[in-house]
Amino acid sequence: MTRDTRTDEDDGRETTGEPGETTDDSDETPRPGPGVPRVGRDEQPSIFVPDEGDSAGGDAARLSDRAATDGGVESATGGSDSAELDPDAYDPVDVFPGGDLDLREGADSCYKCTSCDTSCPVAEVDEEFPGPKFQGPEQWRLKRKDDHDIDESITSCSNCMRCDSACPSSVPLSQMHNEARGQFVEEQMEKLSREYVRNRILSNYRFFASIASKVPRLANAAAKIPGAMTLGEKVLGIAGERDFPEFATQTFREWWRERGGAQVENPDKRVAYFHGCYSNYNTPEVGKAMVRVYEHFGYEVMVPPQKCSGTPMFANGMLKDARRHAETNVENLVEAIGEGADVIASCTSCSLSLRQEYPELFDIHGIEDVSEHTFEALEYLRIHEDLEGELADTELADEQSFAYHAPCHARNQGLSRQAVETFRDVEGVEMEDVGDSCSGISGTYGWKEEKYEKSMEIGAEMFEHMEDAEGDVGMTECPTCAMQMEHGTGYEIRHPLQLLEDTVA
Amino acid sequence: MDRQVDVVVVGGGSTGCGVVRDLARRGLEAVLVEKGNLTHGTTGRMHGLLHSGGRYAVSDQKSARECIEENRVLRDIAAHCVEETGGLFVKRPEDSEEYFQEKLEGCRACDIPAEVIDGDEARRREPYLARDVEKAIALPDGAVDPFRLCVSNAADAREHGARIETHAPVTDVLVENGEVVGVEIEHETGPGKRVHREPGATEEIRARHVVNATGAWAGNVGEMAGVDVEVRPSKGVMTVMNTRQVDTVINRCRPKGDADIIVPHETACILGTTDEEVDDPEDYPEEDWEVDLMIETLSELVPELKNARTLRSFWGVRPLYEPPGTGTEDPTDITRDYFLLDHGDRDDLPGMTTIVGGKLTTYRMMAESISDHVCDALGHEATCDTADAPLPGSESPARMNELMDEFGLRSPVARRSGQRLGSRAEDVLEGVDPNPVVCECEGVTRAEVRDAIDEAGSDLNAVRLRTRASMGNCQGGFCSHRIAAELAREYPEPVVRDAEDELYQERWKGQRHALWGRQLSQAMLNHLLHATTMNRDGDPASLDGSVDFGAFDAGADADAAGSDGSEPAGTAAADGGRVGENAATDGVTDGDR
Repeated sequence: MTRDTRTDEDDGRETTGEPGETTDDSDETPRPGPGVPRVGRDEQPSIFVPDEGDSAGGDAARLSDRAATDGGVESATGGSDSAELDPDAYDPVDVFPGGDLDLREGADSCYKCTSCDTSCPVAEVDEEFPGPKFQGPEQWRLKRKDDHDIDESITSCSNCMRCDSACPSSVPLSQMHNEARGQFVEEQMEKLSREYVRNRILSNYRFFASIASKVPRLANAAAKIPGAMTLGEKVLGIAGERDFPEFATQTFREWWRERGGAQVENPDKRVAYFHGCYSNYNTPEVGKAMVRVYEHFGYEVMVPPQKCSGTPMFANGMLKDARRHAETNVENLVEAIGEGADVIASCTSCSLSLRQEYPELFDIHGIEDVSEHTFEALEYLRIHEDLEGELADTELADEQSFAYHAPCHARNQGLSRQAVETFRDVEGVEMEDVGDSCSGISGTYGWKEEKYEKSMEIGAEMFEHMEDAEGDVGMTECPTCAMQMEHGTGYEIRHPLQLLEDTVA
Repeated sequence: MDRQVDVVVVGGGSTGCGVVRDLARRGLEAVLVEKGNLTHGTTGRMHGLLHSGGRYAVSDQKSARECIEENRVLRDIAAHCVEETGGLFVKRPEDSEEYFQEKLEGCRACDIPAEVIDGDEARRREPYLARDVEKAIALPDGAVDPFRLCVSNAADAREHGARIETHAPVTDVLVENGEVVGVEIEHETGPGKRVHREPGATEEIRARHVVNATGAWAGNVGEMAGVDVEVRPSKGVMTVMNTRQVDTVINRCRPKGDADIIVPHETACILGTTDEEVDDPEDYPEEDWEVDLMIETLSELVPELKNARTLRSFWGVRPLYEPPGTGTEDPTDITRDYFLLDHGDRDDLPGMTTIVGGKLTTYRMMAESISDHVCDALGHEATCDTADAPLPGSESPARMNELMDEFGLRSPVARRSGQRLGSRAEDVLEGVDPNPVVCECEGVTRAEVRDAIDEAGSDLNAVRLRTRASMGNCQGGFCSHRIAAELAREYPEPVVRDAEDELYQERWKGQRHALWGRQLSQAMLNHLLHATTMNRDGDPASLDGSVDFGAFDAGADADAAGSDGSEPAGTAAADGGRVGENAATDGVTDGDR
């Protein structure tokens, strides 16, 4: 059955007091049935109305201008900047902003064993970085109420969160790092500095991607203009060696709307798809694969309004931004959960964020529910479907070997072996795990000019193992790992959902 | 006749250190003798509260007034030893409203600035306070580091010509012709800085006057002189938490009782205490129920304490004194006031004065009064300036930015180093490059450790008191060997080993009372690291008798040279491992190490 769905452009409503802004999104349509996004919330027309000529999102100079005025972005929900939260509502878990989360207690679990430091990919290549033990339990324990600031070295943490899994004693390392980084950025970082502006841009990727997606061809072309990336490096400190990701000519949400939304209706098997920014703007084929695979298994797919999961914002200490986005996400996902859905992400960083960082950092009504109901796409199918049986007799038409890299954030969710295990028995598929090293890009980390070399040094082991692997197609769940894999080897990189689509759907 | 100094001060606690500083600044030639490290007795075994006087505002207003007065003086002259935390007297529903009002009036009567805040405001200031705390009186309690305070007093005394002898117990008080003329001390090593394995020596120090500032041990010294000093030592337990659950001193607002105070102290919190009379200040039971009582009772004020990690517990003995015949039954009712006993007047034994009672907050005032008395006795005219002259380190605060930029310290390390070193920070940090962090838990760098070694010799516990190195959550597990390694520049290997063992043992002593949950895990990890990785439970180098190094093979190179060079590496490793293992086993079965 085809449903009548309407989604307007999924666009950030984070807009700005910018001239030319349009905020017309009020055309409420009668509310469609479950599974179908409705207009509203974060759905609104373009807010960036430049003259056609030089509007490309890749134009670094313009980006820089914009970001400078971007400081006062208001929430999509008209939202509470939580600085205004009632201090009486203090809860030791909700801290930012609205009072410091005091994580000194977390230091109680640390035995100084240094497992975190030895697992930290940044500490391995960066002599100046004192490592997660210092950033987390040590720094917190040395803090005092009115006598502390955060050491600047926190900005070198890439937020790969490997330390979380390395710790034998459940020290909330990444939570401590996130909190410290947020505090550093909020209280100690110069808001007009190039670094701040650059980090703000990188962490608000969605905002800029949404603009670029208005004119994807132009944006793609602009990024390829000789010197464009050099300019980006000179002006903003964005690594010039990297190729800017291409924007799809049709976003996932545009495709979803054009397709008429869900093709399967099933009140007993519903999932709400959290596609994240990258699958929407850059690799809609991953999102499409998710929909087709899930529909193959009889799921009704909902695509609720959504914003950035917050991953790049956490990594850059932009907790206010992350919270604003989280408010929208939680509100819509809670509604979907209320309609019987579980939340499925195809990006392992998105799923980790919703599962772990959300409840650790924010106190938003329903956030625990979202955390408990969120799964990674392949993980969910392996739990609820007989994927093994389904795949037993399948065959991939064109025999292919894949060099599979498990993202750090997948590792944290216990998913590092899922792709290898899932496709083990599929005829024609060879899945080779390239080892447990970090890809080195860690979202925005490897995009920073001053981190680029280190990022590539961290990635060297993975590159080497990929080259040694049989196949010349890479596979991973994480979009930025995919960028790094492609950048380091030139391989085409695919998502396990795409392979699953090829084999079953 | 031997050379004679003006005054010998016996006892290196806060009083003794304060007295020797005062006397030295007044131009008298003074010697301080202490049987252990500075603060070895009661001073090093207190919770570090800088009284505002609030605790005594109802029961003992004279003490309360002295406290607030000295509280203000110490903020000024000992700024680098004091943290201005502020304090709260909190009232729970079951605590008496009448007493709360009495407390408030008492504070006002004693000129202690006091402000009543409601429960919500109290929790805004200290979020971990129990939800049912109704209200609180806020007053200027603070935290003071007794180690730093004593060390700074002693250092200032030394700058003014005094001699400080630690690890030098008094073995006799010299009495000649019905007059005290000095003391005999037994240097464990030395004289001078303590260095392990150096032979000890006996020394007679003749003095025009002897000050007995040994607190709970005053009776023992009195006995050597043949006089009776009836100190009533009273023990109290203190439990150290791993982190600071509160940044303000939290007192329970009720008349008296055990377990009614939480003091934020450096990186930790100290819970206190009990009050129970003991016979011998050196030998009394340390019982687990006392620790349980601390956590149990104080979690009524801060529930989080029940889940929090405990590092260790220690006991101290108060030097309570009351004039003969007072006959107070309950030690908690004995006055906290101090008494100056002139043995000339009292026992017809001139040449010696004993000071007992009192508390750390008023140490300077006590020192002033006893120094006045000594000057009188010696006919020496000089004015006291200790209320105005800052202690070394407290002249000006350390400049954080400089510590970070110039010396490359990470922000929290710079803050804690700067706090500990005060105005000495730059001098201490200069010239040590590279300057890695040696104790990670407390953020202590190599430069600070070396500075302490310069003063303390090979005594790593004295280094610990000066720097806080090894006082964090690993309790020396990850740093005692690194600290000891700093000794190796100056001292031979056996000295370094002894010093390390001594520090590690001391750290273990307090942890014995915290062996559950997370500190138990820490202790096990420490044990395994030291016993297995470092082989410290059977290290041939520390076993008696020499090691037969000839029994080891000559190594891979020798093998390679002797054969065709294709296989020997593996053999060498296996042999080495086996021999090492036997040695370790020997050590274990050896028993008493």
